[in-house]
Amino acid sequence: MTRKNWIPYLIKKLAIFLASVLALSVIVFAVSRLSPGDPLVSYYGERTEKMSPAERRQTMERLGLNAPLTTQYVRWLEGALRGEFGISYKYKQDVLDVIAARIGNTLLLGLPGFLLTFVLALLLGILCAWREESWLDKIISKAGTVLSCVPEFWLSLVLILFFSVIWRLLPSSGAYTIGKENDIGDRLRHLILPMAVMILSHLWYYAYMIRNKLLEEIRADYVLLAKSKGLSRGQILFRHCLRGILPSYISLMAISVPHILGGTYIIETVFSYPGIGTLSYESARWKDYNMLMVLCMLTGVVIIFANMLGQIINERIDPRIRASEGLEVPTNEP
Amino acid sequence: MSHEALHVQHLHPMPTEAQLAGELRFKVVGRLDTHDMPRPVSGRKVRLPWVSIAVLAIIALGCLLANIIAPGDASYMDLASPAKAPCAQYPFGTDMMGRSIFAMIWHGGRVSLLIGVLATALSTVIAVVYGTVSGAGPVWLDTLMMRVTEIFLSVPSLLIVIFLQAILGPANVVSISVVLGVTSWPTIAKVVRTEVRQLRQSEYVVASRCMGGGFMHVLIHHFAPNFLSSIMFMVVMNVRGAIASESTLSFMGLGLPLEIISWGSMLSNADRALLTGAWWIILIPGLFLVVTLVCMTNIGNALRGEVNRGERNL
Repeated sequence: MTRKNWIPYLIKKLAIFLASVLALSVIVFAVSRLSPGDPLVSYYGERTEKMSPAERRQTMERLGLNAPLTTQYVRWLEGALRGEFGISYKYKQDVLDVIAARIGNTLLLGLPGFLLTFVLALLLGILCAWREESWLDKIISKAGTVLSCVPEFWLSLVLILFFSVIWRLLPSSGAYTIGKENDIGDRLRHLILPMAVMILSHLWYYAYMIRNKLLEEIRADYVLLAKSKGLSRGQILFRHCLRGILPSYISLMAISVPHILGGTYIIETVFSYPGIGTLSYESARWKDYNMLMVLCMLTGVVIIFANMLGQIINERIDPRIRASEGLEVPTNEP
Repeated sequence: MSHEALHVQHLHPMPTEAQLAGELRFKVVGRLDTHDMPRPVSGRKVRLPWVSIAVLAIIALGCLLANIIAPGDASYMDLASPAKAPCAQYPFGTDMMGRSIFAMIWHGGRVSLLIGVLATALSTVIAVVYGTVSGAGPVWLDTLMMRVTEIFLSVPSLLIVIFLQAILGPANVVSISVVLGVTSWPTIAKVVRTEVRQLRQSEYVVASRCMGGGFMHVLIHHFAPNFLSSIMFMVVMNVRGAIASESTLSFMGLGLPLEIISWGSMLSNADRALLTGAWWIILIPGLFLVVTLVCMTNIGNALRGEVNRGERNL
């Protein structure tokens, strides 16, 4: 791509991004309002049942819940553009404040977990390709297949059962022990189990991919050439083969964000970890509309952005890929 | 299939006008002995994983015969012995509500497997029809439909599932199968679409259409035999995915309620079991779940075929 084409290219990408976000907001809004369940219950709890019809109407009026859907949407969008997303019905606080208090926890769990998953998968994949068809490769492959079949929630339960309940080594829930909010060691101890689940359940999917790509790569003709020039196996593998597959691995990392994010939400919920995932789960259960919308938008924007990033990287690697051809999105299968 | 094949000699590489007029195109010259012919080296080989098939068959059979293996009502609560460790009376112990886990495994397995099959049947039908329409349709329709699948794929399916579940109200076996079915078709649809796109210009499809073959006829007789082998792997994986999703949803309290026993809903009061250290309540249903999923993965991977890579150069 020439330098001249950069600006229109970026503008086009930005336009697609904004259009996707807008479409997402319409869908999320429509679905969250159409779904059954009484939002007043999440606001007033049991008291809702004792309300008279007139009181109900007044409250709905005050919260703006009985206006037509389009009006509600426009009102929400106007507020959103000013950075006002309303208050959480459940927490009786500004939605952004509640999220701000928790997003750090999710990042603390998610980012290192995400990076570790990909680094470890890379190392494991290289190890398997290096020792192809050896007993080590076979054992790792079998164990990896089994591990990738274990649902995240059950893996969490089993680890909690052994490490927290039976051996009493690690805490089973939360982000810190009450009264030790600023103790870094304590926080780290709370991170070990959730992060282990996160890494273990995704590791093999990516390691397997690296292994297979490397196995293809070491059968290329240039490997013979490099060998005849006298390069060692390590030099060929790390300097040449790995270099061939790394760019597509990086774009894969970007595209994998929704996959891993979804898993993190489940893990957070099982460990009652005070992050965005647990919050999403709670607000979905308690019909906390404002909260749910912002969380879905937040998740959606991250995902749209990650997908676009992956697409851009792929287009840079291989100009033949046109945006219209789309990307391979990872599924659960290894 | 017989090892012998009719040995036909190709008379002309391209049909001439005389042939099109109805003249003989091939001449049968005798039987060809295929024993000595070298088998194709490259390509994919299917080697069935018999161990996985056997284990899966045993589990499926046990679930089918649940009424014989564990007669009586699986949701019967023996209130006198809740959370009892495995013993003679209860081989797998009892759960927090005093229900026999042994009985629940087989009865609940029915529900779990049924949901897997139902959801996959639904998603496969949607995917095949969607993929064929997209692949055989005009370019603008194809582009539009593929865009929709991409949007679908980019949203975490768990979110869609939770939303749909919320709209459909309290979950039952059918509603959760429908929800899982309508959220898991895009990957298969993409494969079907690619295959159909390659096939739709081939002579026999054009011929079939010219002779008045309708959409369903061409789909069943010409497209399906071609894409079936490439989607079989994904179909098996979808069964696996549906069972895993059902268990996750039920565990989180967003799927089947406690009264409808499945491997997932059996785990939904696991947090209380954790507090008392009742390992059998958590480990046993989970083990059945994981073993089933592993067997399905092995079968699916075998259906995909092994790639014969040849010698490495390193």
